[in-house]
Amino acid sequence: MLDLLPHRIPWFVVGPGLGLLIVALFAITNQPLGASGANIQTSGLLRRGRDVAVWRVWYFAGMIGGGLLVTRVLTADGPGIRSGYDSLRDAFPLWAVVPLVFGGATILGYGAGLAGGCTSGHGLCGTAQRSPASATVTLTFLSTAIATTFALHVVTGGSL
Amino acid sequence: MRMNTIGFTIGILFGGLLAGAQLHEYDTIHAMLRLQEADVYFLMASAIAVSAPLLWILERRNHQTPLGGRISLSRSMPQRHHVKGGALFGVGWAIAGTCPAPALVMLSSGAFLGVVAMAGIFLGLHLNTARASEAAPIGDGEHRELVTVA
Repeated sequence: MLDLLPHRIPWFVVGPGLGLLIVALFAITNQPLGASGANIQTSGLLRRGRDVAVWRVWYFAGMIGGGLLVTRVLTADGPGIRSGYDSLRDAFPLWAVVPLVFGGATILGYGAGLAGGCTSGHGLCGTAQRSPASATVTLTFLSTAIATTFALHVVTGGSL
Repeated sequence: MRMNTIGFTIGILFGGLLAGAQLHEYDTIHAMLRLQEADVYFLMASAIAVSAPLLWILERRNHQTPLGGRISLSRSMPQRHHVKGGALFGVGWAIAGTCPAPALVMLSSGAFLGVVAMAGIFLGLHLNTARASEAAPIGDGEHRELVTVA
């Protein structure tokens, strides 16, 4: 809508900004910041409607709101309907992309649950607390993710 | 009540920053994992470089948080489930090109495959929770909270 933000805000603004959010949440509430927890609590609220940490559902809603604000309000209008998967869509037809994304997302969700956190909870917040478990998770997922990406690159004959 | 306001505010800023860095785009994550672009690595490293020393100072000073008592960082030792979970997470992350927070931003950016990604993430988290029993510790990197507010 508005054209107030650049297409991409550089890492040296976003990275320290995320760091300060982690510190702020800890300094005020003594709680770690992580998106898997927000997803679990939101799914718990939808399924049973009780026994959930409600503030994490608000955090979930906030992330959607923040994404909406930046992508739809503060930046210039892009194309109307997008897949969000430009290069994957270039490589594969939609009927293949949908199960690929769904399958990949299910694996990562299961893994995040098993590891007790994801890129934000372990990768940023846990590592910032100097947790050996979080550092282990982070190094593990970075390794398998890079290996998987290169494997996909080879399997697809270089189109990914 | 105040917790909810803080959660919502942090969420807006967090989601906004992820969106600003284009982390909700498959192409950004794919370029990172294909080692074609270092921006996201720098982004993660700088987030840690800013937060780790500040958290250390707060811990050293025995900072009293307004809402959660004395600050307590957690440093648990790696166990097998960390490695297994991390390994699976990485594989899925590479295939789906997204993870739990950016997938939400993808959804709100109007990318229709964000619905598919979020559905998969919810299913995966649910399968693990169902397997591990509802009472098992879940969620964030270093979760201490099984507190139920409502």
